[in-house]
Amino acid sequence: MKISTSWLRELLATDATDGEIAARLTAAGLEVEGEEQVGAGLSGVIVAEVRDRRKHPKADKLTLVDVWDGREVTQVVCGAPNVPAPGGLGPGAQRGAQSAASNKVAWARPGATLLSGITMAAKEVRGVLSPGMLCAEDELGLGESHEGILILDADATPGADVGALLGLPDRILELNVTPNRPDCMGHLGVAREVAALCPGARLLPVPRALDPVRGEAIAPPAVAIEDREGCPRYTANVLAGVTVGQSPLKVRLLLGRLGVRAINDVVDATNLALMLTGQPLHAFDLDKLRGPAIVVRRPRAGERIVTLDGQDRALAVDDVVICDAERPVALAGVMGGLDTEVTATTTRILLESAAFDPARIRRTARRVGLHSEASQRFERGVDPNAGVTLASDACARWIAQWTGAKVALPSLVDCYPRPIAPRELALRPARTERVTGMALPAAEQARILRALGIEVREEGALLRCSVPTFRPDLTREIDLVEEIARVHGYDEVPATLPRSTMAPVPPDRAGLAAESVRDALAALGLAETVSFAFVAPERIAALGYSDGRAAPLRLENPLREEQSVMRTSLVPGLLAALARNQSRGVWDVRLFELGTVFLPSENMLPCERLVAAGVIAGRRDGWLKPGEELDYFDAKGVVEGLLARRRVAATSFRAPRAGEAPWLHPGLAAVVSVGGAEAGVVGEVHPELRDRFGVEGRAFAFELSLAAIEAAEPPALVELPRFPGSARDLSFFVDAAVPAADLGAAMAAASPLIESVRVLEDYREPGKVPAGRKGMLFALGFRSRERTLTDDEVNAAHSTVIEALRTCFQIEQR
Amino acid sequence: MSEQPQSSDRWSSEIDTLVTRCVAELAASPTEIALREAYARYGGQKGAVKRAVQAAITAAPKERKREVGQVGNAALQQIDGAFESRKRVLADEARGRDLARTVDVTLPGRAPRAGHLHPLTHTRREIERIFAQLGFSLATGPQVETDFHNFEALAMPKDHPARDMQDTFYVAGAKDVLLRTHTSPVQIRTMLAQRPPVRVICPGPVYRRDDDPTHSPMFHQVEGLVVDEQVTFGDLKGTLLHFVRAFFGPATGIRLRPSFFPFTEPSAEVDLSCVFCALQPKTRSPDAGCRTCKGTGWLEVGGAGMVDPEVFRHVDYDSERYTGFAFGFGIDRMAMLKYRISDIRLLYEGDQRLLEQFQ
Repeated sequence: MKISTSWLRELLATDATDGEIAARLTAAGLEVEGEEQVGAGLSGVIVAEVRDRRKHPKADKLTLVDVWDGREVTQVVCGAPNVPAPGGLGPGAQRGAQSAASNKVAWARPGATLLSGITMAAKEVRGVLSPGMLCAEDELGLGESHEGILILDADATPGADVGALLGLPDRILELNVTPNRPDCMGHLGVAREVAALCPGARLLPVPRALDPVRGEAIAPPAVAIEDREGCPRYTANVLAGVTVGQSPLKVRLLLGRLGVRAINDVVDATNLALMLTGQPLHAFDLDKLRGPAIVVRRPRAGERIVTLDGQDRALAVDDVVICDAERPVALAGVMGGLDTEVTATTTRILLESAAFDPARIRRTARRVGLHSEASQRFERGVDPNAGVTLASDACARWIAQWTGAKVALPSLVDCYPRPIAPRELALRPARTERVTGMALPAAEQARILRALGIEVREEGALLRCSVPTFRPDLTREIDLVEEIARVHGYDEVPATLPRSTMAPVPPDRAGLAAESVRDALAALGLAETVSFAFVAPERIAALGYSDGRAAPLRLENPLREEQSVMRTSLVPGLLAALARNQSRGVWDVRLFELGTVFLPSENMLPCERLVAAGVIAGRRDGWLKPGEELDYFDAKGVVEGLLARRRVAATSFRAPRAGEAPWLHPGLAAVVSVGGAEAGVVGEVHPELRDRFGVEGRAFAFELSLAAIEAAEPPALVELPRFPGSARDLSFFVDAAVPAADLGAAMAAASPLIESVRVLEDYREPGKVPAGRKGMLFALGFRSRERTLTDDEVNAAHSTVIEALRTCFQIEQR
Repeated sequence: MSEQPQSSDRWSSEIDTLVTRCVAELAASPTEIALREAYARYGGQKGAVKRAVQAAITAAPKERKREVGQVGNAALQQIDGAFESRKRVLADEARGRDLARTVDVTLPGRAPRAGHLHPLTHTRREIERIFAQLGFSLATGPQVETDFHNFEALAMPKDHPARDMQDTFYVAGAKDVLLRTHTSPVQIRTMLAQRPPVRVICPGPVYRRDDDPTHSPMFHQVEGLVVDEQVTFGDLKGTLLHFVRAFFGPATGIRLRPSFFPFTEPSAEVDLSCVFCALQPKTRSPDAGCRTCKGTGWLEVGGAGMVDPEVFRHVDYDSERYTGFAFGFGIDRMAMLKYRISDIRLLYEGDQRLLEQFQ
């Protein structure tokens, strides 16, 4: 909301500077988000009347203009093409107030200062002395236009200061009005706020009643409200004898500063009234209203309306429509109809000022996608009492003044079936301290409320408050407490710490688990990344799952298709990050993410699960030479390291069955199990998937469910061995399909003296190893916890191991 | 000595010869291994000198065995001495060679690869730690939420204009299911699950339909909630002040500005003294040219207020007996201010070079 401080100053009396006003508004919750100074530094530019004009003797494009300042006539040289004719009655001129017919211009005399800081002096132009110049808009800081000189209103008094005439200088404040403050969507409400906030400031009385303008009696149109819920109050003012033209320059310029385009004097008057009161108005061409009658109702089935923007719109049952005797003529609170629009030929006007149900207007505005100055205000709620009539009065008065129109008698048709009374609230002054921690005497609290326009009666320990209808946000005691705190100032609130009556809370185990997994993965050399939880649907589909993970939750209104489904896996995000790194020339990538995936469920809300996943690509760290390329075992090593840090028991890795890890390479993938339950997968990323994501070279990834790797309690210490152990190596050939894990398990189980089994080699070099077999070298550790083993005992145990392997796996010792 | 038998003279000179040869070989041994081998050839159990001494003792008549033994021992001791002294020389030489080694100490170290936690994790943990010291516990909740928990229970019924302030992602094909726009629904869930007193913070991802250098459609929030019998707006102010000073440093200030949220009353915007310019120790005043605070000295970082009685009504708390405050701010924003990150989108790109800057 743009606020003109120069207009504010017409509404209130205050010593405060514009800067102080802005600071107080911000501190009280009407944040000034931006400021713009207009016309500062302008001085000495006066109104001058063109008395004569003729060509410059030496230049075709220059004109010599005789201007009169109220006392004498002076010749000025002017380069603009639009110097008005003397007498001002150029072709088409009809009305006195219109600038098109005006011969008043802005003359910067020698000594005048323009916005640019230039001080004017008499200057010779092509041999003719020019005392100052006639100004264009931009030279006065009023706009960009430099096409011609500014033509002032015809009724401007020669010699008068142009700045003062145009309301300059002005400072425009860009206010961020929160949705609870409809009253501050107009200058009057902001003026009221300033009066409450600035010491010594006082609101000036607004002329309430319309100056009686004599006019012929016109039978007022019948107004009926059928939809009382949608429209609590509807008023209509009728004006006759309108000649639509241009509004005064000062108004056009003011509207421009407030961000509203000047259209014609009737529309400008409604907009100016809107900017004053926050109450939107609508002007109908009365002669185009059938009946003439106004009916406010819900649309009937199949009804349509062509709105001012030319759109033919279907109406919804929840809309509020303004109809004449036959058809909808306006979409209430949102936009008027094209058929009944005020045009250049309009002579009689019906001026609507009404209150509508905020929720209904909001729904309509959203549905049709129109968020106008009017709908914004109706959505917040206008003042159905003084606001409605004040705006109508002010607007009618301006139209009458500017267009010469007469207001019909009786002036206002008012349909207000159930008047809305001010809200009565009781405030316990002690409650203010209880909530804010700030002690304020009851009298001071009452003073603040009164300054805001609230009637306050002291009744024992209570303040009985009567809240005017322009503050629909004040409905409870707590709302009054906030008003008091806000106006008194949050800066006055003492900073204290809450005293605690809390019992100690046990630590959050799930949270701690997630944190320790993060720490573990970072300790294993991975960098944590965070990806968006919404991804492209085809990236989820590309994983190839056929269970719930293939049916992600879709968003109704995604920003873009690539962010339209909720992830069911962290892998797409990680692969995208990997590809992004590669495209930036970063090839050694080790990333992990710990985040939520969203799986479909029977319930209203999806099943949200915490998952840890990682991707690695590139080379191992080499030292003074490139490291070797990463492979499956680097990824598996990360997973093993994580599981070891989680102290989870009974972990195992096995080749996946069909569909278990569709996004991984079929021969280089494993399903990870913990305590017999599947925890996730690890392996080389499937080449097809790499291509889909634009990943170059091999990449390795894992994804684990956090719930499945719940940490065990720290184990009791295993006592250190007191007796020496013995080591034996065992080398043999075995069927290449036998997993090393099975061999190790068989060895460990073969003798109670086995302490450790470690794979040293797995070699399959053709020629050195029989076809279909592989060479394995294991290191076995033997130890007893009771005594030192003899060579014979160790040899016997070793033989048992070999025997077991021979029986189970048909090994051949080497 | 002339009475000595010929044979005894023979063994004596034989031993002498062996000793002389042995001493020479020991002294010439270039390595410790060669030295030990040479020693073994003469002085070891099966060495030549040892054998010669044994043979001489065996051959000597009984009364002379003692004398022969003494001569033999002397010979063996001489060998041992020569061995030891050569060993010392070789050890000294080896130590000298060892000490003569050098490397280019400026070559890079061979460090194990270090991992990195995300700046958002660092920031969130720091925030959690500070609030934990004030007795706040952690609460979490679903990110896909119901309209009731995200809006309705927070005094934002449908068609409430305040819903415009938080442009919402909705889930397709489900009525009233959405991506939470703030972590406030966790506050609601917490209050529905427990009676006062309450003192929690709720960190986590939130979603809004916004996308530009300062807004990301997903970002992270932390909200705090305190409900007890004597909680005031002043307590809110003190708590936030404690937090920003612990997080940004003791010179940091806050400013509360009245604002509007449907779920708090009174409500406030929380402004932080600009960490880029207002904290300059010399001036203590904002820098007119500061691009971050635009010369105001203040940065808007969050919202706060006293829990609205309407919210208490939804969770069945007695608003006459209990008061409470709530606050919320962006973890991303805190991280950006702390680490001087200008574009929020950098946090979500997973660029290894950025991540590696955070230990």
